[in-house]
Amino acid sequence: MFDFDATLPLMAVQFLLLTALLNAVFYKPLMKVLDEREDFLRSGDTGSKDKLAKAESIVKEYEKQIAEARRESQNSIQKAQAEAKEITATNIAAAQQEVQSQREAATQEIEQQKATAFATLEQQVDSLSRQILEKILDPELIK
Amino acid sequence: MEILGALTFLNTYTLAELEVGEHFLWKIGNFTVHGQVFLNSWIVIGLLVIASLAATRNLQKIPSGIQNFMEFVLEFIRDLVRNQIGEKEYRDWVPFIGTLFLFIFVSNWSGALVPWKLIELPSGELAAPTNDINTTVALALLTSLAYFYAGLKKKGLSYFKHYIEPTPVLLPIAILEDFTKPLSLSFRLFGNILADELVVAVLVLLVPLFIPLPVMALGLFTSAIQALVFATLAGAYIHEALEDHHD
Repeated sequence: MFDFDATLPLMAVQFLLLTALLNAVFYKPLMKVLDEREDFLRSGDTGSKDKLAKAESIVKEYEKQIAEARRESQNSIQKAQAEAKEITATNIAAAQQEVQSQREAATQEIEQQKATAFATLEQQVDSLSRQILEKILDPELIK
Repeated sequence: MEILGALTFLNTYTLAELEVGEHFLWKIGNFTVHGQVFLNSWIVIGLLVIASLAATRNLQKIPSGIQNFMEFVLEFIRDLVRNQIGEKEYRDWVPFIGTLFLFIFVSNWSGALVPWKLIELPSGELAAPTNDINTTVALALLTSLAYFYAGLKKKGLSYFKHYIEPTPVLLPIAILEDFTKPLSLSFRLFGNILADELVVAVLVLLVPLFIPLPVMALGLFTSAIQALVFATLAGAYIHEALEDHHD
């Protein structure tokens, strides 16, 4: 069982050769691949961090713009409301004035027509009262 | 009588037999070499190299298939080595400790999973390379050399100061440690793998079919654990040699 012979040194040499061979075809290339992948992932990590920061700054910028736009729209709404109020006020005033003048004109006309109506009435009263008198009294008496 | 007859009938077809210490010897000059160990280690090495080549033949940034699997393996090894040696110096030692782990692991599992018995050899049998004491001692001695190299390379000759620090009283124990480390490493692995194969062989001999299956599953588990233990301890020893006690 414990018979040592030339197997021992030859096996040692063979093992060293195997180590050298595997170093060339296994450890070196695969270690390189692993290291490269690690580097790649690390750089990807920092790259993604940069991108995240950029995205956040963009979001902030947009939020600022949105706030500005909102303020602007608020302003323009207020302005428009004020303008509308003004316009309605002037319109109302103008309409009231017109109504006033039309009413005045109408009353004047009514007054005038009343006067003419009274005048014609008076005439008719005169002629009618004459006719009545004529009917009741003797026409001679009147003359 | 019928039962006995059935038993002898079974015995005529040898499902398993115990062979310990028989080798398929090759002669190279004046030296002998255990051929079955090398044959099997070449199969293991071939597997590892083919898997590596398949994984790295067409490297993608987003891995898939075999590349994904081998990256998983490499990350496992890298974490193991990093845990033992530390962030600063682990990179130099990934190939050595990783190869230790892969070679031992694939060897152990090849011994546990593949019915090598089906392949006839003139003598001895194919089995896990790690159930030969030569292999485990070779790996353990390489580990010793590795941690001496690590210490000497980093600290120069002042590496040897750790024998008399913190106190020279511990010098014998410190020296003894350099011998016990490879000894325990190699015997732990050798013993576990050989014992596992023997237990399975004995059980198959006694009760063929099904009964040995749980033991075989346990063997797979032990094999994996032993590979992990060997690699982890190698890492721990190297870390110990690299460690700064004072500064």
